[in-house]
Amino acid sequence: MKKIVLKRLLESIPVLWAIVTITFFLIRLAPGGPFDREKELDPQIQERIEAHYNLNAPLMEQYTDYMGGLLSGDFGPSFKNASSSVNELIAQSFPVSLELGFYALCVALLIGLTAGIIAALKPNSWQDYTPMTLAMIGICVPNFVLGPILLFIFGINLGWFPVSGWEEAVDKVLPSITLGAMYAAYIARLSRGGMLEVLSNDFIRTARAKGLSETRLILKHALRGGVTPVIAFLGPATAGLLSGSFVVETVFQIPGLGKLFVESAFNRDYTMILGTVILYATLILILNLISDLLLTWIDPRLRNA
Amino acid sequence: MPNTSESTYEVEQGQSLWKDAFRRLKKNKLALFGACFLIFLTGISLITPLIAPYEYDAPDYRLGASGPSAEHWFGTDLIGRDLFTRILYGGRISLMVGFVATAVSLLVGVLYGATAGFLGGRTDSVMMRIVDIMYALPFTIFVIILMVFLGRNIILLFLAIGAVEWLTMARIVRSQILSLKEKEFVEAAISMGLSRFQILTRHLIPNTLGPVIVYTTLTIPNVMLLEAFLSFLGLGVQPPMSSWGLLIHDGADSMLESPWLLIYPSIALSLTLFSLNFLGDGLRDALDPRVAKD
Repeated sequence: MKKIVLKRLLESIPVLWAIVTITFFLIRLAPGGPFDREKELDPQIQERIEAHYNLNAPLMEQYTDYMGGLLSGDFGPSFKNASSSVNELIAQSFPVSLELGFYALCVALLIGLTAGIIAALKPNSWQDYTPMTLAMIGICVPNFVLGPILLFIFGINLGWFPVSGWEEAVDKVLPSITLGAMYAAYIARLSRGGMLEVLSNDFIRTARAKGLSETRLILKHALRGGVTPVIAFLGPATAGLLSGSFVVETVFQIPGLGKLFVESAFNRDYTMILGTVILYATLILILNLISDLLLTWIDPRLRNA
Repeated sequence: MPNTSESTYEVEQGQSLWKDAFRRLKKNKLALFGACFLIFLTGISLITPLIAPYEYDAPDYRLGASGPSAEHWFGTDLIGRDLFTRILYGGRISLMVGFVATAVSLLVGVLYGATAGFLGGRTDSVMMRIVDIMYALPFTIFVIILMVFLGRNIILLFLAIGAVEWLTMARIVRSQILSLKEKEFVEAAISMGLSRFQILTRHLIPNTLGPVIVYTTLTIPNVMLLEAFLSFLGLGVQPPMSSWGLLIHDGADSMLESPWLLIYPSIALSLTLFSLNFLGDGLRDALDPRVAKD
């Protein structure tokens, strides 16, 4: 087990390096720079700004400087928010995104698992069709449609929830549902499939024959096998939650990392883009690893594979 | 040869994969609805310039944002452009992105997966390791960066989306080829002296068609979603051209005063995604009855 973790972690290092390097050269070689304006700046000023951010050094030198900074944990200064470093900006906004993602995941698991299990218990009845139709709707209504519509109904017309902000608990309801809905739908479908497969096994029939109550049967015997596909899905899902957060944070005006990333991409804020890319990539690599480990923990048969 | 009752039975068996699949598909009302809707939509998209009641970029400033009426079925946007026309043109773009980018991913995925599965051994494990690693990359982020820095043109959009979506296709095709190449008909082909390339293109790839069709149908909605997502963020199709993501973005901005600007494009996008997903599900059930519906 330890060996696998170590191997995966070691493997991530060259992957991360490749991501950083590709991104670094991609954004620098592309036309346009962070200090290009509609109206041209005084060349002297432009030069001084670029010198300040080390932008007129040879490309390779910029690269080695940046990588040197990275190794000591320094993401460099932000080009657009002159007073803050990328480290500070990330430290401010990342916890917000993390919180949003966590709530969304809770929404997704809670609704998705419940719906999936209910559907699997009575296949091809209305208890199956209703949640599965809802799940299909959840998959087909993207978050950038769901967000504005929820805002329109519950924020503006009914006035139950605030339309923007991220301070009190009520602020967090609509964004979490918007972000979590699609994953709730996928989880419902996956857990239904997984449960149906497990419930058709012989050991379930044996347990039933021995007079086990339906609740115990589900919770103690079927659930463990039934949720395996859901856990395998969690790794990619969290990666999806990240890109979902770009939209949700923009729609609900949440000061998180997703919004910051989209803004910095538009502004060509090189260091900010690189910082967020590194953070996202690390996060995705780690989450995939955790989801794989969970999978082998829940299904010991995978350990030897 | 085909004379006895036994051989007619065999002929029926031989053709029955597609016939059977079609019969099963016909029973699935939702999938059938999806297929009809998509055919209808594709037809409309092809002749949009002929049937669109207005120009997609012709503003009518006196009118401004007006609700649905007899002249403008879905109303008009803030500068008086006909929303129905803009949805038609947006659908054209969405479908085009959906089909072309899926075709790119199909081509890359099938070739890559087939090569890996066919060569096997070390080459295979290296090639699939690369796919595994790419799975773990924050691709949406790369697409965003690409679109910002290399200009927002539609060709790049096709390539960027296609480059993201081929991974799963490669995996599916590889696993199919791996099991197919052990079959006797491949041995027969080898003993007939066919080259490896011929075996791969004429015998192995055509036999993976079922799962490939199913997954293709399920890739198209993903691709359309990605295009709409990018356009929503302002990174995809650029105004005055129209796209569903763009229309939804504009609609969300003005939903207080003119909710129809949000509602109609949202319905158009969701209905299309519905149809594609139902059709994909239906095709999966029809072509591969062993797989239980998840």
